[in-house]
Amino acid sequence: MIEAQALTKRFGATVAVDRLSFTVKPGQVTGFLGPNGAGKSTTMRMILGLDHPSAGAATVNGRPYRDHAAPLRQVGALLEARSIHRGRTARDHLLALAHTHGIPASRVDEVLATVGLEPVARRRAGSFSLGMGQRLGIAAALLGDPAALILDEPVNGLDPDGVLWMRNLLKGLAADGRTVLVSSHLMSEMAVTAEHLVIIGRGRLLADTTVAELIARVVGTVLVRTPEATALRDALVAGRATVTSDEPGLLQVSGANAAQIGDLARRHGIALHELTPRRASLEEAYMELTRKAVEYQ
Amino acid sequence: MITFPRVVWAEWTKLVSLRSTWITLGAAAVLAVGLSGAIGYGVHHSVEGGEPPPALAEAVGAAFLPIDLFVLVFGVFGVLQMTGEYGSGLIRATLTAVPRRWPVTAAKAVVQVAVTLPVMAATALGSFLVCQAFLGDGGASLGDPGVPGAIVGAAFCPVLMGLLGLGAGTVIRHTAGAITTLVAGLFIIPLLLGPALPGDLEEDVMKYVPTVAGQAMYSVDGGGQPFDVLPPATSAAVMVGWAALLLAAGIVLLRRCDA
Repeated sequence: MIEAQALTKRFGATVAVDRLSFTVKPGQVTGFLGPNGAGKSTTMRMILGLDHPSAGAATVNGRPYRDHAAPLRQVGALLEARSIHRGRTARDHLLALAHTHGIPASRVDEVLATVGLEPVARRRAGSFSLGMGQRLGIAAALLGDPAALILDEPVNGLDPDGVLWMRNLLKGLAADGRTVLVSSHLMSEMAVTAEHLVIIGRGRLLADTTVAELIARVVGTVLVRTPEATALRDALVAGRATVTSDEPGLLQVSGANAAQIGDLARRHGIALHELTPRRASLEEAYMELTRKAVEYQ
Repeated sequence: MITFPRVVWAEWTKLVSLRSTWITLGAAAVLAVGLSGAIGYGVHHSVEGGEPPPALAEAVGAAFLPIDLFVLVFGVFGVLQMTGEYGSGLIRATLTAVPRRWPVTAAKAVVQVAVTLPVMAATALGSFLVCQAFLGDGGASLGDPGVPGAIVGAAFCPVLMGLLGLGAGTVIRHTAGAITTLVAGLFIIPLLLGPALPGDLEEDVMKYVPTVAGQAMYSVDGGGQPFDVLPPATSAAVMVGWAALLLAAGIVLLRRCDA
C-alpha cells in the first residue's frame, strides 16, 4: 500500500506536484500516467525519500519510507535514469546494495537469474545495453523481495521480448499480492498491463480510476457504412451528432449511439450495410482527459 | 535491518570492486617510493660533488617530498568516492537503500581509511628507506629522533587529506566543482593568503592551512618550511579538525538536500 496525502513539491516559484493525494492498493498493477513534466518522477522520488516534500506526506505500508528499518524489504524501486557505476560488475553492484540489509549473496544470484542477467553477471556495467541496464535495475528492485514496487518507465529500452517479459513480471508480482506502481508513456502497454490508473497533469490529480472506467467515460464513435452517405450525414447533423468521413460511404459518428443511428436511418428510409460501435482506446481516453486538463488550466 | 557495520560492508564492496581504486592507489604508492629514491640519488650526487651533507631534517624532508604532491591524489580520490556516485546516478540507489543517509558518508570514511592507511603506511616507510639507502652515510636512520613520528605523519597526512576530499565531495557533489575547490583551497588560497595578510597574522594563520599543517605532520624540527609550523601532533589535530569539519558539513547537506 502506497499513500500520498496532499503531496506538494515546489522548486522556487514552480509547483511540480500540487496537493496530490492517491492510494495504490496491493494485488494489482497501478499505472501512473501523465504528460512529460507532469510530476510523475518527482512524486516517485518523494515516496522514496529522495526528494523532501514541500508539504504533505507519502507513506509506504503505513510509514514514511525512511522510517522503515529495512526499506528494501518494503519497496523495490527502479528510477528512470540509470543508477550504476560503469566500472562495477552487475553482481558487485547488487552485492553492495544487498550488504546494507544483510541480504545473502544467494539472493543476488537468484534475482540475476530472474532478470536473465546470469551470463553477464561478472561483466562491468559500462558495457551493458539500455535493456540490460533496465534488467539490472529490476534485479535491484527485487533484491529485498519487497511488498511494493515503484518502477519509473520500466519498459524503456526493452526489445519486444523484454516488453512481454516485463508485462508478465509485473502481473505476476501483483498476483502475489504486492503493490505495483508503474509509470509509462506507452498507453498500449498500460492498457494490457495495468488495472488501475492514477493520472496526473501539471502536478495535479486528473483521475484515480480503473482502466475500464476511464475508457467508458469517453463516448465512443460508431462506424456506419451506407450507400446513401450524404443523406444520412444530413440527417445525423440535423440531430446534433458529429460526423466525419475518411472514405466515401463510410461515416464515423459521435454523439449518437448505434441504436439511435439505426432508428434514424429507418425513419429516413436509408439502407445501412454496417453499424459498428467502437470503444475508445486507452490512448484516446487519456488524450481526451489530459487535453481537457490543459484547456481548463 | 540496516546497521552501520552492514553499510560499511556495502561501501567496502563498492570500493574494492573498482579496478580504478587499485590502479590509483598502486600507482601513487609506486611513484612516491620511486621519486623518493630519485631524490635521494640526486642529493647523494650533490654531496659527492662537494656540497655539505644534509642535516637530519633535510634528509627526512627529501624522502617525503613526493608526499607533498600525492596528498592531492588522495584528496581527489576522496572527492570521487562521493561525486562519482552523483555522476553515475548510483547515489539514488545508495540513498534508497540507506534512506537515513548519514551512514553512507560515515561508512565511506571508515572504508577509505581502512584501504588508504595500509597503502600509505607501506609507502611512507618505503619512501624513507629507499631515499636513505641512496643517501648512504649522509642519510637518516629509523632510530634518529623524530623519524618514527615523521613516518607515521607521512602515512596519516594523505589519509586525512582523503577524508577532507570526501567531505568536500559530499558538500559539492559535482566532480569538477569539488576538485577545483579542493585545489583552490589547498594550493591557491594559501599562496594568496601569504601576501594578503600582514606579517604577524600570516605567521599565525598559515600554520592552520591544511597543506601547511599536513606537511608539518611529517617534518622533523619543522624542517624545510619558510615559516613557523605547529608541532607534528598539533598539526595532525588541525588536519583531523579540517576533515571532521568538512565531513560534518557534508552530512548536514546530504540529509537536508534532495538527492
